[in-house]
Amino acid sequence: MESRRSLRKLNIAVVTLPAALLLVTLSMRAASAPARGDASSDKDAKVVRDFQDLVNKYLEFRKSEVGSSPRPTNSPEKITDTQQQLASKLKDKRQNASQGDIFKPEIADYFRRQIAATLATQQGKKIRASLKHAEPVHGLALQVNQVYPQGLPLQSTPPTLLLNLPTLPKELEYRIVGRNLVLYDSVPDVVVDFIPDAIPLEKA
Amino acid sequence: MRRWAQIFLLASGLLLLGLARPFGTPTLFPETARANAGEKTRQTASNLDIRLPLAAKSVRFAVLGDSGTGGHEQYQVAEQMELYRQRVNFDFVIMLGDNIYGGHRPSDYRRKFEEPYHALLDAGVKFYASLGNHDDPNGERLYKPFNMGGQRYYSFKKGDAEFFALDSNYMDPTQLNWVAQNLRQSKAKWKIAYFHHPLYSNGRMHGPDLDLRTQLAPLFHQYGVNVVFSGHEHVYERIKPEDSIDYFILGSSGKLETHDFRPSDQMEKGFDTDRVFMIVEVTGDQLYFQTISGHGQTVDAGDLPRQEQPDAAAKNQK
Repeated sequence: MESRRSLRKLNIAVVTLPAALLLVTLSMRAASAPARGDASSDKDAKVVRDFQDLVNKYLEFRKSEVGSSPRPTNSPEKITDTQQQLASKLKDKRQNASQGDIFKPEIADYFRRQIAATLATQQGKKIRASLKHAEPVHGLALQVNQVYPQGLPLQSTPPTLLLNLPTLPKELEYRIVGRNLVLYDSVPDVVVDFIPDAIPLEKA
Repeated sequence: MRRWAQIFLLASGLLLLGLARPFGTPTLFPETARANAGEKTRQTASNLDIRLPLAAKSVRFAVLGDSGTGGHEQYQVAEQMELYRQRVNFDFVIMLGDNIYGGHRPSDYRRKFEEPYHALLDAGVKFYASLGNHDDPNGERLYKPFNMGGQRYYSFKKGDAEFFALDSNYMDPTQLNWVAQNLRQSKAKWKIAYFHHPLYSNGRMHGPDLDLRTQLAPLFHQYGVNVVFSGHEHVYERIKPEDSIDYFILGSSGKLETHDFRPSDQMEKGFDTDRVFMIVEVTGDQLYFQTISGHGQTVDAGDLPRQEQPDAAAKNQK
């Protein structure tokens, strides 16, 4: 037991410095939130700003026209009813929405480049491994305004990928479905927009 | 004629087999079969094998992972939990995700949560859920009996311990910052993190989430997390301490993947032939744990000393 404690002390000392450095790096990246995604040029920075404007406009619209997140309740009926009402109202209000409204061609292109660049780093193999282990969903035909199908697992989105994409406001998320990148609104449980085949195929 | 009789008998046999399976005739693996044999001695709360010290003012809780199938085995585990609660008096349960599999209709919340655990809920036991990949994040975070306060990730304190329930489905920069900030600010003697996807695992079905590990493990070291519980892999595994942190995988309280381990030196203990839950007691500088199968066997037990906090270790070296 004594040797285990000594080993722990040693381990703690050994990991403290690198962990601190990693945290500083993480904090610096987090602090530069609007530029996250390493917009390498002014053009990219503008694309990120345009994307964030479109996302904010969508969220304002959803909150004002459809509603905000409901309060916690003991009643599963209330949860499912509210969810269905929100989704149905959103579909009604956004009936003209289509794929590419938010992920416009230049924005989708930026995302594809960011994802490809992240997967090309040393961490890329780990991201690919995480994607494979996360019960990937294949064969789901995505549509804008679609409610995420009940019973299908949610594929986790690798954190390193998220660190390299533009920040989203609370309630909106990036989701991976097969090789597609989905902009998902967690409140009505709806697909807002998506980029088909955003995850490049693995080179053999 | 004899040939027709043979065909008839064969067809009847196949039909009977086909009918029997949906009614849940389980495939028995050696340990399960032995445990079933042992079941003849009726278990009661008074004859349970308790490996926890049951010290005064200790923090006692139970752990469930990948539980929400609504199947017979989930109910069996729940019955064992209630028996142990009567002796151990744990007053809360942490849930490691996949709390409700499949659909999320009101009937699913009942059949996969409220009904199996009704005895615990009636006794005032609180459940603190984290989200798995089969959960509905929006529905479950709003479901009061899961005590998530409407959030995907949150923390709560119990005695000397602080618990950090994380959402490993979506570990975005905002959550990573929240984890770092809240771990740093925590004054708790014990910091316990739990979430669905394991950072270390020797299960064949999924394996470890390497990208998640890259982001979370350094924060856990930096801010002195003592113990980490995860699910997702449908087995029970205790990992040898990784950089002084104790990692448990418990993803078999409802689902089970039998004989699913790859050989590894990293494994301290593995069990993959029956469903399990854990009971845990934190008292002073020790954490005691006992892992129990759906048939009431203790499959693992022990105690872990509290690791020294990194800042205290640094001070001692000066």
